[in-house]
Amino acid sequence: MSARLHVLLGAGGVGKTTLAAGYALALARGGARVGLLGIDPALRLGTALGLDLGAGEAVVPGSGSLRAALLSPEETLRRWAIEASPDATARQRLFANPFFVALADRLASATDLLAAARVAEWVERDPELAHLVVDTAPGLGAVEFLRRPERIAALLEGRLVALLRRLGRQGVRRAPHGIARRVLAGVMRIGGSALLLDLAELIALAEALLAKLLERVERARRWLADPSTEILLVAAVRTDAADIAERFAAALEEVGLEPSAAVLNRALPPGLGAHLAGLDVPDLPDARALVRYARAYATQQAEVAREAGRWARRVVTLPSVRGLDGAERHAALGALGEALRAGLAARQ
Amino acid sequence: MTHAPSKIVFVLGKGGVGRSTVAAALGLSLARRGQRTLVFEWTLAEAIAPWFGLPPAGTAPVLVAERLSVARYELDEALRAYFVDHLGLGLFHRRIVRGALGRFVDAAPGIAEMLFLGSLFWLSSLAEQEAGLAFDHIVVDAPATGHGASVLDMPTTLGELRASGLLGLEVERITQMMRDPAWTSVVAVALPEELAVAETLELVPRVARSLGRPPVLAVVNRSVTRFFAAPAPSGWLGALGAALPPDERAALVGLDTELRARARTERALVAALAGQTSDGVVSLEDVLVATGDTEPRRIVEVCADALAARVEVA
Repeated sequence: MSARLHVLLGAGGVGKTTLAAGYALALARGGARVGLLGIDPALRLGTALGLDLGAGEAVVPGSGSLRAALLSPEETLRRWAIEASPDATARQRLFANPFFVALADRLASATDLLAAARVAEWVERDPELAHLVVDTAPGLGAVEFLRRPERIAALLEGRLVALLRRLGRQGVRRAPHGIARRVLAGVMRIGGSALLLDLAELIALAEALLAKLLERVERARRWLADPSTEILLVAAVRTDAADIAERFAAALEEVGLEPSAAVLNRALPPGLGAHLAGLDVPDLPDARALVRYARAYATQQAEVAREAGRWARRVVTLPSVRGLDGAERHAALGALGEALRAGLAARQ
Repeated sequence: MTHAPSKIVFVLGKGGVGRSTVAAALGLSLARRGQRTLVFEWTLAEAIAPWFGLPPAGTAPVLVAERLSVARYELDEALRAYFVDHLGLGLFHRRIVRGALGRFVDAAPGIAEMLFLGSLFWLSSLAEQEAGLAFDHIVVDAPATGHGASVLDMPTTLGELRASGLLGLEVERITQMMRDPAWTSVVAVALPEELAVAETLELVPRVARSLGRPPVLAVVNRSVTRFFAAPAPSGWLGALGAALPPDERAALVGLDTELRARARTERALVAALAGQTSDGVVSLEDVLVATGDTEPRRIVEVCADALAARVEVA
């Protein structure tokens, strides 16, 4: 892949979405073609950009050539079904399959199944792309983005799917033997025969779609492991930041990856807490509360910064940026993104 | 208006709004009123036990304070408990569920959510008989909105699959569990901050659609209106900042601006939530602002005190 992949991981509320939007704007500033993909089913990327992101890709106004999109399981699955099969009748049957409906429409965790393949598809459709920035779902969702591709590959290449495909294509012509019989009996015991047949129908009707999915998942895995890929662990000043950081480090290790950097977001200048301790604070409720807050925040920040240094080779510290929710939001987002870009480019 | 919690209380909200803190505080306030309470966490890192000075809890409930236990949800253990302990199908579990179907279980979406609800059903009904685990309330620290709200749709989602067998039975059980307001309810947690407000205002009607009733309570976390209701400081900030280096002065002014903006957002949020929940809105003060405490356990205790006035037990 010639395009560079940037993945932002982190707990909820640390500013991943805002930072992803800012970083993408900053990368696009020099005229490079940049993609920004939100794979969080909570769909906050549009709010952060001040745009109404529908199902498709949208060009971010005034950004040069930044295109942003949210992963919509329904739109993605339908598009892939059309791409995979010219047979409209078969497609209609697929769209009516209860498992397909659940995946397209109901299950937020369907995004975990599709995210990696959607990432790979972006470059296929836009070979001129220079950067793709991925905003993951918080916490567990981000870990799934890393872990799920391998499991999907194992499933799609496995015996069970082959067995279901055969069953879906040919029906039960003769009684299966050995392990096949045990597996089918197991699925029937768990979900009953109608469910088994629906599942087999899904696998058979979606055969080309699943083959393409597997191919894309494999490509995404290789791209994730490419040395040019940037994996940013975003942390903020919150009580459980240390525990969460440790879990992310473990999850990355599980898939053989390493964070490029930790980003400590919304940080105060390091000396502020100590300087405030020596000042005379007027006896007013808001003045006392402000100083109390700043000092407590500084205490927590020092702890988080210490932890961040333990699990990433480099730590980029970013200040709070104002105006992210106002009319000038693109300027503020761009400034935030530039700060991240500069921090990552600086020698340490 | 006071609020009488159901047997299972889902704490839902955007990532980072403080779901774990609110779940722990709600659990603690119930435990203090004599209720045996379990906080059941489906999170990346079990956070609550360490706040009480203990190692992170595993899948078995750990007592962290009087009558307050914590446990963590894990798919593998939930599968084992269901097939081996509950159904007595050890061989089936080993050979089929974790054997031939293992890859399917690991990769297919929806399975973790199904088992999560199954575990809640078991904990809130059969656990006392089968394992001697008796809880009056289970407070659920659910995943962030995107994934969390989708859990509430599971009975409908699964109902649309033509399931019989074990799954059919489970779908019936969890549907019954979710339908009963005395059994299941939702508390929505919000933060007065742009993205979290947008997400909360989408979450509340979504809960109403999925569950057939709105959240019982909205908790507005990290409230600062008591201190920062005025739109600007009364002249003292300049004098205070004059003693600081320029970057620190700018950061302090920025923090003041941020807190006042939070107070404004909070008023708008509380107004928008009015009438959207059955038992109203509770604000929890930002403990860092109100007392300066940074110890997580203290933060939970302060929040539990604030909730106690609004939570009523049978």
